[in-house]
Amino acid sequence: MKKIVLALFTVFYLSSCSSNEPKPLKLNSDSCDNCKMTISNGKLGAELITEKGRHYKFDDIACMVKFAKSGTAVAAKSFYVSDYLQDNTLIPAEKAFYLKGGSITSPMRGNTAAFSTKQEADQYKTKLNATSSSWDEIFNSFQ
Amino acid sequence: MRIIFLAYFLTLSVLCQAKTILVGKNHPLKSIKAAIAQSSDGDTIVVQSGTYKEGRILINKQITLIGKHFPILDGENKSEVISINADNVVVKGFKIQNSGHAALEDPCGIRVYDKSNVTVENNILDNNFFGIYIQNGKNCIIKNNTIKAYGKEEQLIGNGIHCWKSENLQIIANKISGHRDGIYFEFVTNSVIWRNISSNNIRYGLHFMFSNDDSYITNVFKNNGAGVAVMFTKNVKMFNNYFEENWGDSAYGLLLKEIADSYIFNNRFSKNTSGIYMEGTSRIKVEKNVFESNGWGMKIQASCMENEIVNNNYLKNTFDISTNGSLVLNTFNSNYWDKYEGYDLDKNGIGDVPYHPLSLFAVLTETNPSAMLLYRSFMITLLDKSEKVLPSITPDNFIDNSPLMKSLPL
Repeated sequence: MKKIVLALFTVFYLSSCSSNEPKPLKLNSDSCDNCKMTISNGKLGAELITEKGRHYKFDDIACMVKFAKSGTAVAAKSFYVSDYLQDNTLIPAEKAFYLKGGSITSPMRGNTAAFSTKQEADQYKTKLNATSSSWDEIFNSFQ
Repeated sequence: MRIIFLAYFLTLSVLCQAKTILVGKNHPLKSIKAAIAQSSDGDTIVVQSGTYKEGRILINKQITLIGKHFPILDGENKSEVISINADNVVVKGFKIQNSGHAALEDPCGIRVYDKSNVTVENNILDNNFFGIYIQNGKNCIIKNNTIKAYGKEEQLIGNGIHCWKSENLQIIANKISGHRDGIYFEFVTNSVIWRNISSNNIRYGLHFMFSNDDSYITNVFKNNGAGVAVMFTKNVKMFNNYFEENWGDSAYGLLLKEIADSYIFNNRFSKNTSGIYMEGTSRIKVEKNVFESNGWGMKIQASCMENEIVNNNYLKNTFDISTNGSLVLNTFNSNYWDKYEGYDLDKNGIGDVPYHPLSLFAVLTETNPSAMLLYRSFMITLLDKSEKVLPSITPDNFIDNSPLMKSLPL
């Protein structure tokens, strides 16, 4: 019995302090850690978690990349981007599919949108008159 | 002689065939769309009061559209209400309501597409996604409109007056509330924003991005989510505005980021978390402003340089000035600081000892916000006093050499 309780406690303890999960963006309340603007669009936001487990929130994927390269904080462990087709849902940046340009206008003119499946990205490519891109390309395109 | 006159008037009437078309219950024409279809350039369409649910009304001729007693144009939450796709159009006296709400197309109450000399005057816009949207416009006037929406936090909504890639705009005497940004400028040049009241918007009362050579004069920005932001811009004049009651962690009376060569004159910053927050700002003159009852009067980040802060009144702020570095590249001169405790023996109105506007505690809380708990404790007061005499942590050249003994009559 004691063992089970102990095991349960460890499970709870571990799950409660896992900082790998992104914190949801609080729209019109949180401000971007790169450009200071208040985040108001949950479709184009981004979030970065550092190796120490600290969360930084951004209103634009470009802001996150610029922030990660600026050396302001310790090295980043994981990147998250908002799913363009859902309201305020963050998905891992490496696994997302990207569209750039066209009629996508993001707050800081990064003009990049992320999709969780390739199918969705392709579907919106013509609709938005955009070009497809990958995380590596996106990461290298902003300084 | 008479014949000549007659001939003159006859030719005149042939030349100016501008006609007036009446629309309404008591007229043969019941629909605005039908009236526009019948009209030609230079005509005037007068619409009687009533409710018109015609979907998207496209104005593609150079006409004047006038509403009598505020006829209601309803988008029924489906579409854009008025689209202007011609030069020299005037839209006056309508109540425009319930545009669609979509994230992709940005439906608006009134939208101007790449046109010039358009006037939008005396309208009431209620519950639209975007209020008035000027896209690539020139010489347009937006005047005396009341723009209202009901946006909440955590909800996507457009801006009250949204101007993109335009020039020579006049935004005059509008009342805007409940949108994301009250007035939004992006790539807009040589424009003026005058006598507007922007309050209770979710994000900013006024938001400038990449917009050079503009001025905003005598506006009131009150109780917006995060105040006013002027970013990535140069040559902006900000005169006689009120920045009031912008409270919150990331709220500023005025947020300046990456802005140069601008002039901030005779404004009043009262009851904000921070009156002005400056980052990456250079060659700005801040003159004759009042900073009253703010948490921080001004927050000047170390990335700012060559700014001149002259003849301002700092009254009843918790902290007058705060900064995050030890480098000081800005000058302070002849301001009135209500916390100044010096004397004036030669009675010339200027204090004989310089004033250090940066308190020790402001520096401490900047690096360690939770130290705020100790504010007004005995030890902190003691440290602050000794720091004033012998600066050790605060930069010793952060100084006003000629502090005023009396506040300026502003």
